[in-house]
Amino acid sequence: MAWRLYALELPQAQELLPEGPEPEGFWPLEESWEPKGGAPLPWPEPLYFLDGKERAEGLVAEGRRLALLGCVAAGAVVFEGGRMRLLPPLVRRVGVGLSEALRAGELLYEPFPVEGEGIYALQEGLRRARANLEAEVASGLSGGLLVVDGPVRLRREAPILGYIKTHWARYLPPEKEALLHRLAPGERSPLFRIRRKGLELASWYLRLPLPPEGVRPPEAGLLRLETPLEGSYERLAALSVSLFPALASHPVKDPRAPQNLTPVGGLERELGRRMGRREVVARFLARHLGGG
Amino acid sequence: MERIGVVLGSREATPLSFWVGVEGEGLLRLDDLVVVEGFHPKVGKVRYFGMVDHVAKVHEGETYDTDIFLATRGQIPVSLAYVAHVSVTRILPEEFFPPDPGSPVYLAEGEDLELALYYEAMKNQRGSTKLPAGLLKNGEVAYLNLEFLNGVKGGHVNISGISGVAAKTSYATFLLKSLLESGVLEDAHQAKVLLFNVKGEDLFFLDKPNARLTEEARQAYQALGLPATPFGSVAFLAPPKKDGYVPDVETRLEGVRAYHYDLVQFCQRGLLPFLFADRGFMTNLGFLVQHLTEKLRRLAEGQRGPHLLVEDWTKEDLPEGITFDALGKVRLKSFAELVRYLEYKLLGPETGEGEGDRSWTARQARGTLEAFIRRLRASVENVAHLIRGDRLGNPPDPLQGEQVHVVDLAKLSPQAQMFVVGSLLKDVFERKERGQYRGRVFIVLDELNKYAPRDEEGPIKDVLLDIAERGRSLGVILIGAEQTASEVERRVVANAAIRVVGRLDAAEAERPEYRFLPTSFRQRALILPQGAVILQQPEIPVPLLVRFPFPAWATKREEVLEDNSAEALRRELF
Repeated sequence: MAWRLYALELPQAQELLPEGPEPEGFWPLEESWEPKGGAPLPWPEPLYFLDGKERAEGLVAEGRRLALLGCVAAGAVVFEGGRMRLLPPLVRRVGVGLSEALRAGELLYEPFPVEGEGIYALQEGLRRARANLEAEVASGLSGGLLVVDGPVRLRREAPILGYIKTHWARYLPPEKEALLHRLAPGERSPLFRIRRKGLELASWYLRLPLPPEGVRPPEAGLLRLETPLEGSYERLAALSVSLFPALASHPVKDPRAPQNLTPVGGLERELGRRMGRREVVARFLARHLGGG
Repeated sequence: MERIGVVLGSREATPLSFWVGVEGEGLLRLDDLVVVEGFHPKVGKVRYFGMVDHVAKVHEGETYDTDIFLATRGQIPVSLAYVAHVSVTRILPEEFFPPDPGSPVYLAEGEDLELALYYEAMKNQRGSTKLPAGLLKNGEVAYLNLEFLNGVKGGHVNISGISGVAAKTSYATFLLKSLLESGVLEDAHQAKVLLFNVKGEDLFFLDKPNARLTEEARQAYQALGLPATPFGSVAFLAPPKKDGYVPDVETRLEGVRAYHYDLVQFCQRGLLPFLFADRGFMTNLGFLVQHLTEKLRRLAEGQRGPHLLVEDWTKEDLPEGITFDALGKVRLKSFAELVRYLEYKLLGPETGEGEGDRSWTARQARGTLEAFIRRLRASVENVAHLIRGDRLGNPPDPLQGEQVHVVDLAKLSPQAQMFVVGSLLKDVFERKERGQYRGRVFIVLDELNKYAPRDEEGPIKDVLLDIAERGRSLGVILIGAEQTASEVERRVVANAAIRVVGRLDAAEAERPEYRFLPTSFRQRALILPQGAVILQQPEIPVPLLVRFPFPAWATKREEVLEDNSAEALRRELF
């Protein structure tokens, strides 16, 4: 029995809410609960931005077994000497649920273990493959400051900063939340401590500029940042005020503005390009793994 | 071979043109020549030679034009793309399949360059016919095939460009230097050159070294294999001043001869039509001019000049100041007197209503006759010093004596310029036609639009057309120049095998006359610096941008390198 192509498009998966427990409590780290500005600080160098991307490319079947073929990519841009430069990204093709590598013409899908059953487990496997790849890229970035998209999961010796663009969990009690509406662009909330999977983190909210001002609700430009509660986290908070507003994207150019940062936007485009064109990949799969 | 980049896959690669992505520190400029190797199992190896005609740099990763501000502030990553478009000049062997995207691209140097520009084909049984025509950007010599210039396979050169900056005359003289002294033209010693000086006195110092010649220019001459010396054998001819008989030049005082025709030469050579240069032969006036030319020719038969003797001017009709000579003939001693005589023959004696001589009037209406006389009278002021009866004629003879004849027209009225150009061209062409001179004759004439206008007829245009169409087989080569090729008779331009374009004005560059230039060259013709021209020749499918060195000969008085050595002074004094 050989693996045959089952479908090129995944069955419409329902939008998965990010999992994770609700915050365990609220511990402010700063005395007064007031908006904070700050003097501009020079950006640290090297300043890395890390991002990854995954794409399901086809579902293959062997008898009753299913496997998800996909492509994951991760890369980083580095700000150094006043220039934003792309570092060589990593791109891998993985087959979640395969036990050995599967070749489709020029494409080679490496096996990747699946945990659990069903299509969602396969998709989750692909996400893990991406996270692994991101970690692999991150391990090659030494010194400076690393900015990652999403919560901080990596452990790193040098400073690391995670930024969260969408806010599913409420970290602030309702009476403290009112402050978020009062944040002016470029201002941040005081720091508070959160705890997640045994990790102690300092977190704060930051308001990005979203021109034209005053049209959208103030929450529209909110970014939550977090960094391990150790070392110079207060300095990072002060730096974030001069860093993120400068990198916020413009709504005319990016529908995910302002939280989608401009260097990361460029990185994502590049990763997408390195993954190859979807149609070309589909043609390979159809030709080599037979029609579905 | 220096690898410079690879063939692009994101744009079409065809056998005739393709795009190149330039790698790393590579440098690819307009006009650079490249070579690419292609392979197909059925035909084997194929080499594409080409010339870069477009280069561009662009930021990849910028979606909006304003992204550049983000990029310069270092907020988005971008990569610089450096691409070039190549027009293929040659495929060896001729298998027209496209090169593979990703094929390495090399700079064409040495032998490859020769293949790219077809230099290796520029030869005949006796040897190479590569005539140095300037320097390419990379310092290599640009050649043109002599056989397309000397009349063997093609002939004639046409140069167009704005006056003042296009350096038409400079390039024409440079080309002459190459023709006469590079040794490529085998019978160069027999070749004769007729140069018309149309403005200023630029050409009056061709035989003097240029004091402003730099060491760099000397090296350019050396690279071209040409001596950095002025022309050796030059005759300078200028019309006489209107009073007296000294050449009418201001900046050069020695070594210039005056030239003129005497009345007998004027009649015998049939030069009357060249005073009516704007008239075609198909009009009444044209017909009359032709008829009178013939009458005058017969009249002058057997006469020796300089004055013209006429027998049939009766005593009572003679105007004041004209008398019979001993033999009972009237002696016409000036052009004005010839005009009076013609007036008498056509319109009859001044006194009385008389009729002209029927054998002269050729049945033309009195209005036509009067028009003719009016115009002839008007020309007296213009040409009386050039057509004279007081001394033996001394017209320029480019086929005798010095190798190069510079004939000055600058101070002449337009009518007199027409007359001199027309008479000389006709004379040279007729003598070559009769086989009276073996060597080649090169004629350099600026302002072709005046002498061979597109929309008018005239005797000079007829001569020029004759030269353009038949001249090359007779060894008469026209190096013509004009500001605007669009205003020159199409056949004159079309017959030029070698086309040269200097700086053009923008409207002119868009005219169909310049369609032989690819778009990029037409754009560049607008910004060509002095000392650079675009050269198009039949064998090479793309034009070449060539530089040519600063003249080694002076082009004005101030440039003359004074030779103050004792030897030179002695020569001058004794």
